Amino acid sequence: MAVKRHIVYILENDFRNFFRYKWWLVGLISMNLADLFIMAIVYNRMLNPEIIQQIKSYFNFFAPGLTVTGLFASAFMIGREVNMEKRREVHQYLLSLPMTRFELAFGRVLSGGLRGMMYMSPLLLTCFAFVGLPTLTQFFIILCVLFFLAMGISGLSIAIAVSTRSIDKFVTARGLVYYLLFFCSSVFYPFSLIEQLGREGKFPLFLVQFARINPLSNASDLIRSFLLGTPSFSPEMIISVLVFSVVFTGLAAFAYIKLIERA
Amino acid sequence: MERDVRLFFQYKVMVIMRAIWFVSQIAFFGLIASRMVAVEDYFRYYVGGLSVMTLYSAAIFIGFDIYEEAEHGVFEYLLSLPVTRRQLVLGRSIGGGLRAFIYVAPLMCIALYVIGIANPLNFLIALFSLFLFAFGVSGMSITLAVAIKSSDRFDILMGVLDALIVRLSTAMYPLSFVKEANPLYGWIANFNPVTYAAELFRWGAGIESLISFDNPLLPLLGIVMFFGFFMFVGIVLYDKSIEGGGWR
Repeated sequence: MAVKRHIVYILENDFRNFFRYKWWLVGLISMNLADLFIMAIVYNRMLNPEIIQQIKSYFNFFAPGLTVTGLFASAFMIGREVNMEKRREVHQYLLSLPMTRFELAFGRVLSGGLRGMMYMSPLLLTCFAFVGLPTLTQFFIILCVLFFLAMGISGLSIAIAVSTRSIDKFVTARGLVYYLLFFCSSVFYPFSLIEQLGREGKFPLFLVQFARINPLSNASDLIRSFLLGTPSFSPEMIISVLVFSVVFTGLAAFAYIKLIERA
Repeated sequence: MERDVRLFFQYKVMVIMRAIWFVSQIAFFGLIASRMVAVEDYFRYYVGGLSVMTLYSAAIFIGFDIYEEAEHGVFEYLLSLPVTRRQLVLGRSIGGGLRAFIYVAPLMCIALYVIGIANPLNFLIALFSLFLFAFGVSGMSITLAVAIKSSDRFDILMGVLDALIVRLSTAMYPLSFVKEANPLYGWIANFNPVTYAAELFRWGAGIESLISFDNPLLPLLGIVMFFGFFMFVGIVLYDKSIEGGGWR
């Protein structure tokens, strides 16, 4: 019971911090919606016939990808705060709180994930409103997968934040992770195109493989498979996200405890 | 100007990040999206637009410096220098544009390596128009920074403006498709300075098949007007705001 209460305290603190950036969040949502309602609509007109056969409409294809992108950006925000706490030595105060190291570390990863879920929800609702509604079971699976994805992202962000000493290094590392995970995935374009470029030798095969196991690809494709029917559902989509989540949640909790104790 | 250019290179992370963004956009998004769309030579078209998008974001950055200076009391020091107010303000706007250009130059070389140059004279005219565009964006950033007076609000507004101004232009897609998608989008894109800059850059590099303006003088005129307006408004506003602690 006490464990739960301690974790709730951490969540409360992190959510308060999150809402301090409410205008920033409004701005971010507007930018995401501009991507959907301007960029995706124009690209819709430019698709080549083969792709039209495959995905029907770019707007519908991109809406689930955008939801995942939004989730990624907001769940990653926790890393910036953790990095700042480390630089300003707030972690020493956190270590002095009457709770175990595990509660503290798990609470931080969990709050990062839940904040991501909260930010992503208007984007997911927009996706449902324009693309279509899933069944209740599918809806539950989508929420679970997105939650695990958010936890993994939050963990990844915290692991990077505690391993980098300055904000500059954190921002650079964040950029590298962002670009690699976003562009080398099926968030913006169908995976078949990445595979095709790989077969033609224009794209390194390890990047094709990376795009296949990329949790952003799998989470976007899972939503698409339920709402659009393509690509077809495969349990690998869920397994990939779960593995990513377990690895990075564990790694982040371990790194957070070790590195803030050492700092 | 010298000070502003030097200051810019202190933001090493920002410079590195934008460079990574630029290269990954070409290597991933450009390459894959060119297979996704039925637009001939889309890869070269996109690389041309990407250079202008990068120039725009780099030129915007001067606004953030103004907040930093206000916060650290550098304004007062600048006002004590033996230069007139006009010279100070003009120097800031030109410095902002110039440093954006210096930063984008190596990236533009990468872009030109990918897309090539068909006519050197056309390219020089395009380059001149990009200079004016960078100064104009820099003036716009100064104008907004001075008018808003809150770095947080400025940050949000710049993000939203960036998303809208770039997407409602021909930086990523030809004007005919923008018009087809939504006539209002097409109308806005038709009067967007990012459209003018992107079209002129492509014209200079020789990617003329997808250009929406028959006469390159029209986008050039548009850029001159954009530059003139924001340089003038930026100078007047900045000049009035910095005197006697008016910034706060």
